[in-house]
Amino acid sequence: MARELTLVDAGLGNLASVERALIQVGSATQITDDPDKVATSRIVVFPGQGAFGKHTDQLVSGAMGEALRMVIQRGDPFLGICLGMQLLFEGSEEGGGHRGLGVLSGKCRRFPDEMTAAEGDRVRKLKIPHMGWNEVQPSGEHYYFVHSYYVDAGKSDDVMWSTTYGDVTFAAAVRRENIFGCQFHPEKSQQAGLRFLRAFLLGSRQ
Amino acid sequence: MLKRRIIPCLDVKNGRVVKGVHFKGLRDAGDPIEAARAYDQQGADEICLLDITATTEGRENFVDVVRSVAPQIFCPLTVGGGIRREDDVRRLLNAGADKVAINSAAVTSPLLIKRLATRYGSQAIVVAVDVKRMPALPRDEEPLYEVVIHGGSRSTGLDAMRWCEQVAELGAGEILLTSMDKDGTHDGYDLWITREIARRVPVPIIASGGVGSLEHLRQGLALGEGEADAALAASIFHFGLFTISQAKQYLHDHGIPVRPPEHRRAA
Repeated sequence: MARELTLVDAGLGNLASVERALIQVGSATQITDDPDKVATSRIVVFPGQGAFGKHTDQLVSGAMGEALRMVIQRGDPFLGICLGMQLLFEGSEEGGGHRGLGVLSGKCRRFPDEMTAAEGDRVRKLKIPHMGWNEVQPSGEHYYFVHSYYVDAGKSDDVMWSTTYGDVTFAAAVRRENIFGCQFHPEKSQQAGLRFLRAFLLGSRQ
Repeated sequence: MLKRRIIPCLDVKNGRVVKGVHFKGLRDAGDPIEAARAYDQQGADEICLLDITATTEGRENFVDVVRSVAPQIFCPLTVGGGIRREDDVRRLLNAGADKVAINSAAVTSPLLIKRLATRYGSQAIVVAVDVKRMPALPRDEEPLYEVVIHGGSRSTGLDAMRWCEQVAELGAGEILLTSMDKDGTHDGYDLWITREIARRVPVPIIASGGVGSLEHLRQGLALGEGEADAALAASIFHFGLFTISQAKQYLHDHGIPVRPPEHRRAA
């Protein structure tokens, strides 16, 4: 079996920039929308933009969902990006409530309206989505985020890095053994993002 | 803490950067790929490409420019200029843009904003709003600003504040606010209208038009002054007056939360 990385095309947005970033860090990448190809992959990256809804319901309950769970249960390295990370969890409040793959425990919740943050001696009203560059703890590195819902992880051990927006501290990146997820977009996070992808490629046990 | 963004903007005409980008290390000042790559490496938080071509063939060129710039940079790419139809948006997003800015078309067909936001997500749809300050009328308590289109040459009769509130309701993910009075003057953003809109409209505001110094960037972003979420500028970066890193350092030293310049570690 080829040790090529599989980039999952589940119809959840444009994959070109993720592919480009993976090539930049030296990974041979095949893009596929075929659940059988995904199920037999040795390393999988699952990006997603957009929202939980009908489309993710179909994915979760269909063949692609099955394939993703197979890879994860087998213990092969897996990285979910943005919506791809959120889908690792049990579900989301979004659009009246939808299920995720349920591989990790926890739920996606919407940032509360009317959040504020202190800035010097003034207070600033925060906007939703949380969009732009924010730092993650403990490293203090900055990554590019775009999301209105955040992961409220059920097990704190799964949270690798956290980020704070207003009153909410949420999972910026998660890891349980070979299952990785990042809420930020590594492909849009310049050198820091490329370092993250490289660390995933090197650090997951293959 | 979420940081304020610094967005260098490249004006592109017939596939070339207008006026050119003049800083050290660029072989071809007019090449949009080289310029965008240089800004990305300097740590720009986002890059904006604006098509100022008037002709149809030029527009085709622009899609090609986007297609060749996008794979070269690792930060968000916003593109705009001359977008009329849904199909233009589709082609630009497919070419690798992360966000598309719509200007006149949003005014002439506002429901386009809603259709695009539903289809591509609000995060991909920026509405560019060009405004002009109206002559003061004695009994007005606040200055009035009108939305203008076609490069400021045409009035719309729309009140800038109301229009921005409406485009946010229709699903715009961000507003790129340009003061046509200030654009090209190098004497700073129009802070009053930037602040009022940033306070009242629930989506991020990108301030644009008038930057001539680093202090202008600070004003545009500072609470109690412009209060914008992001600052867009063109000429201060193009002419090599300042690098993105210098801008970040200045803003940081003056209390504006920005992402520090990248340490040049190999990725």
